[in-house]
Amino acid sequence: MNCESVRERLELYLDGELDVIEYREIEAHLRTCMACESIARNQQALSRAVKAKAAYHAAPPGLIDKIQLGYSATPTGLTIARPARVLTIAASLAAAVVLTWSVALLTLRTAPEQPFAEEVIAGHVRSLLAQHLTDVASSDQHTVKPWFAGKLDFSPPVDDFATQGYPLIGGRLDYLGGRAVAALIYKRRKHTINVFIWPVTGVDTPGTQHLTQQGYQLIRFARQGMNYWIISDLNSTELEQFAQLLRASS
Amino acid sequence: MPNNDNNKRFTAMVLPHLDAAYNLARWMTRNSHDAQDVVNESLLRALKYFGGFRGSDARAWLLTVVRNTCYTWLKVNRPAEVVTSYDENRHDANESDAENEACDTPAQGPEELWLQRADAELLNRTIADLPLEFREILILRELEELPYKEIARIADIPIGTVMSRLSRARKLLRQLLLKRLCVEPTNEL
Repeated sequence: MNCESVRERLELYLDGELDVIEYREIEAHLRTCMACESIARNQQALSRAVKAKAAYHAAPPGLIDKIQLGYSATPTGLTIARPARVLTIAASLAAAVVLTWSVALLTLRTAPEQPFAEEVIAGHVRSLLAQHLTDVASSDQHTVKPWFAGKLDFSPPVDDFATQGYPLIGGRLDYLGGRAVAALIYKRRKHTINVFIWPVTGVDTPGTQHLTQQGYQLIRFARQGMNYWIISDLNSTELEQFAQLLRASS
Repeated sequence: MPNNDNNKRFTAMVLPHLDAAYNLARWMTRNSHDAQDVVNESLLRALKYFGGFRGSDARAWLLTVVRNTCYTWLKVNRPAEVVTSYDENRHDANESDAENEACDTPAQGPEELWLQRADAELLNRTIADLPLEFREILILRELEELPYKEIARIADIPIGTVMSRLSRARKLLRQLLLKRLCVEPTNEL
C-alpha cells in the first residue's frame, strides 16, 4: 500500500473498522514509513485525549424519578427479587439501599435456556440503576478482599488489572440464584464490568461460555472451585481479553 | 398483562442506558436543563414505540430516539444551531477568536505531546464549539464507542457520510485545539 491509500484509511484503521487483511497491510506500512506513522500518532493522541478527558455526562441522580413514564416509580410488574432469607444476611447494608432501589429490583421472566444469564443481567442492571455499584470502593485488592470476610462464607480472589487497562473499582455483595455472591467491579474506559463470583457446588461445567443478550456480553467459566460470570456492555473482544486476565490470575 | 410485560422489558432493556441518553442530549444541547427535558421527552417517545422494537441493541435504539428528539427540540428552540449544510470556510483556521491574539510565541515540541497534555476544560470547551453535525458524530464514536455502522443507523446517514463527517470533525477539533494551545501542527491540516 502506498502512503496515499494508507492515509485515506488511517482513521478506519485506528477506529477498528478495517478487515484483518487491510489492517495488517497498514500496520506493516506504519512500521516502515515514519511520515505516515507520525500522522497516525497525532490522530491517536487526539482520539485518546477525547476518550480519556472529554466529559461523559452521566444522568443526574434523581432524573429517573422526575420522568413520568406512566407506570409508577416502582414500576408495575416489578417485584422485589431479594428473598427474605437473604435479606437477613445482608440486613446491615441492605436496609437503606432497598429504599433507594425504586426502579431497580427486577424479576425478569426466565427463559428456560438461559435462566441464569437473565439473573446476571438483572444484577448488572440493578448495580447501574440504583447508584449502588460498590459497597466498598477501592482500587486496592488488599482492601477489597478483606472486606468480604465475614460477609460471605468464601473468600473470592481479588486482583487489580489497572496496568492492563481494567482498573478495579470496588466490591459489592449481591444475590444470584438465591445465594449471596461476591461482585467485583472493574472499568474499561466508560464501561462498567461486573464480575460475580461464588463457589462451585456439585459438578462444574467445564470450558467457557459466551453469550450476547439484551445488548450485553456475558462470559462464564469456573476456575479453582469458583464460578465466574462476567457481564458488561463492552465489546466482546475486550471483554474476552479481560476474561483471560481473570483466568490467568485466579 | 401485555402492558406490564412491556414496562418490565422497557425497564430492563432501555433504562440502563439512561446515562448514554443523557450524555448525548447534554452534548447536543450543551446544557443540563435542556438535556433533562430532551431525555424526558425521549423516554416517553421510546416507551410509546417500544412495542415495535425488535432489535437486540437497546442502547443504539434509544440513542436514535434521543438524537431525533434533540433535533426536534433544537429546531423549535434554537433554529440557528440546526444548519442543514455546514460551510467549512466559515469555521476554518482563519477564524479569529480572542484566544489567538495572545499567541505570539508558538509552543515548542511535537504536536502529539501537546494533544496528550490538553486539559479536560479545554477539550470540553473545544468539542462544544464544534458544529452540531460534527459534535454528535464525534460523541457517538469517541464517548459511546459505537461502530460506524451503528452511527450511520442512529444519524440516518450512509456509512460513507459517517466516515467523512467523523474525519472532518476530528480535523476541525485538532485545528481548534492546536490554535488554542498555540502549537504548530506537525502534519498538514
